[in-house]
Amino acid sequence: MRIRGIQFSPALGNVEKNYDAHERHIKDAVRDKIDFIIFPELSASGYHLKDIVYDVSLAPGSDMIKKFEKMSRDIDILIGAPYEEIPGIIYNTALFFSQGQLVHKHRKVQLPNFGMFEEGMIFKPGDNFKTFKIGDFTAGIIICREILFPVHAYLYYLQEVDFLIGISNSPVRGIGEEGFAPSFKLWERLGEVYAVNYHLNYVFINRTGFEESLCFGGGSFFAAPGQGILKKAAYFDEDILDFEINKEDVRISRISTNYLRDENPGLILKELKRILNA
Amino acid sequence: MLEIDSEAAAKILVKFIRDTVYKHHFKNGILGVSGGIDSAVVLALTQRALGSDHTFALLMPYKFSSADSLTHGKQICDQLNVAYETVDISPSVDAYFDRFATEDRVLIGNKCARERMSVLYDFSARKKALVLGTSNKSELLVGYSTLFGDSAAAFLPIGDLYKTQVFAIAKYLQVPDEIIKKKPTADLWADQTDEGEMGVTYNELDEILFQLIEKRKRVEEVEKMGYARATIDKIRRLVINSQYKRTMPPVAKIQNRAIGVDFRYLRDWLK
Repeated sequence: MRIRGIQFSPALGNVEKNYDAHERHIKDAVRDKIDFIIFPELSASGYHLKDIVYDVSLAPGSDMIKKFEKMSRDIDILIGAPYEEIPGIIYNTALFFSQGQLVHKHRKVQLPNFGMFEEGMIFKPGDNFKTFKIGDFTAGIIICREILFPVHAYLYYLQEVDFLIGISNSPVRGIGEEGFAPSFKLWERLGEVYAVNYHLNYVFINRTGFEESLCFGGGSFFAAPGQGILKKAAYFDEDILDFEINKEDVRISRISTNYLRDENPGLILKELKRILNA
Repeated sequence: MLEIDSEAAAKILVKFIRDTVYKHHFKNGILGVSGGIDSAVVLALTQRALGSDHTFALLMPYKFSSADSLTHGKQICDQLNVAYETVDISPSVDAYFDRFATEDRVLIGNKCARERMSVLYDFSARKKALVLGTSNKSELLVGYSTLFGDSAAAFLPIGDLYKTQVFAIAKYLQVPDEIIKKKPTADLWADQTDEGEMGVTYNELDEILFQLIEKRKRVEEVEKMGYARATIDKIRRLVINSQYKRTMPPVAKIQNRAIGVDFRYLRDWLK
C-alpha cells in the first residue's frame, strides 16, 4: 500500500483556504497513484482556535464533509478537524474517508489543557480507541498528546492493529545546546518503541508553520515493524512523506520477538482492578 | 544552563519574522537601531528574513546619547547593507521639556523612548513596514523598559531569549565585536549601564531568572544553588511588579464576552 503524509501549514480559521490545500494535495496523490493520504491533526482549521472554533467546526453531512466523501472515491483520505457531532458539542476529530463515505472517526481522548494548550476549553474528549480497516490492514489513530501515553498504542496493539497512524500539531520548545532536538525526540522515541515493541507500521504526521508565537516543527516520519524509523520528513519546512507498508513485516516482527504472543492482557486487567480497588 | 544552539535559534527566528510580516500582508520590516546588541541582532535577523531591500532602520539619537551609539548603529546597517535614516529627536523632546521643565533623568529617558516609538510608528506607515521590537526576555521579565516606549512593537523576535543568549546569537550572526563587547546601556545619560541600573549583572540575573522561570524552581532551591537570597528576592519582586507591562490593559467586564476575558482570538485570526 502506497501512502503519503502531508506535512503542511494550515491557515488559522480559514477552512476554505485549507480545503483548497487538501484538494490540491489529494489530486496530486491520485495522479501519483497513492492509495492513502494523511493530513495532520486539525488540518482543516488550524490549531489554536480559541473562540474561532464555533465558526469553523465541520458538521455531519455538511458540504465540506460531502466534498471529502466524493474525493475518497479515488483515494483513502484522513483529515483532522474540529467536528461538531452534536450541535454545540465539538470534538478534536480524525476523519477517515474511503470509497465515497466517511467510514471512521477518532475523537481525541487526551486534550492538553495547560501552558500553551487550551484544548480542554473548547473540545469534549472522546472515550475509545476503536480500529478500522484500510484495505487489508487493521488501523488505529492516535492524536498528538495521545501518542505520549503509550497505553493508548497498547490498546490498539491488543486489537492486532498492524498500521498505527499518529497525527499531531506539536510546537517546538525548550531550546538548548542541541537546538530543538528534544522536541523531535519526544515523538521519535515513542515511534521506535511502537514499531519495534508493538510490531506496527507506525506513521507520525505533524504540521509546520506558525500561529502567533508558536512554531510547529514538522519532523513527520515512518517507522517499520521491528525496525524503527526508516524515513523522515524535514524539520520545520513543509514536506511530503511517501512510504509503503506491508503485512509481512508485521508478521516477521511478531515471530522474531513474540511480544504479541506473550502478551497477557488478562494479567494486566487483573492488576488494574487490584490497583483501582486498593 | 543558558547555552543554546545559536544556529537553530536564528533559523527559527528568521522564519518567525518572515511568517509574521508576510501573514499580516507586509513586505517590509522597520526597527529602531540604537547601536546596542539587541537591535543589532534583530536587524541581522530581519535582514536575513526579508532581505536588505525590505529592511529599514531608524537611528534616533538624543543630545545626551553617546557618539558611539550612532557610530555603531550606522556600522551594523552598513554591514548588512540596510538603508537607514537618522532622526535627531532632540528638537521635539526639548520642545516639550521647554514647557514642562524637569531634571529627572527617568522622566527624560521615558519621554525619549516614547518619542522614538512615535517616530518609528510614523515611519512604519510611510514605509509600509511592520515594527519589530528589540526587547529581550531578561528585560521583559524584570520590566526594564518604558511602557509604550521601547516596549511598543508589532512583535518581539528575541523576546524569548535571555540577554546572555542574545550575546551568543550575536556572535553567530557576526555582529561587530565593538557592539558585542561594550556594556549594555539604555543610553539615557552618560555612563549609564543596564547592570548598574538593575544592581545585578546580566549573568547572575539570567541564571536566577532561568531557574525561577524555565526550571520552575522555588526561591529556596535557587538559594541552595549559591545565589544570595536578597538578590533572588529582588529579582522576583521586579518580575511580579512589572506584570502590568507584559499584558494588555484589563477591560472591566460587564457584558457576556469582554475583550481579553472571554472574547478570545489569536492575532492570526483568518490570516
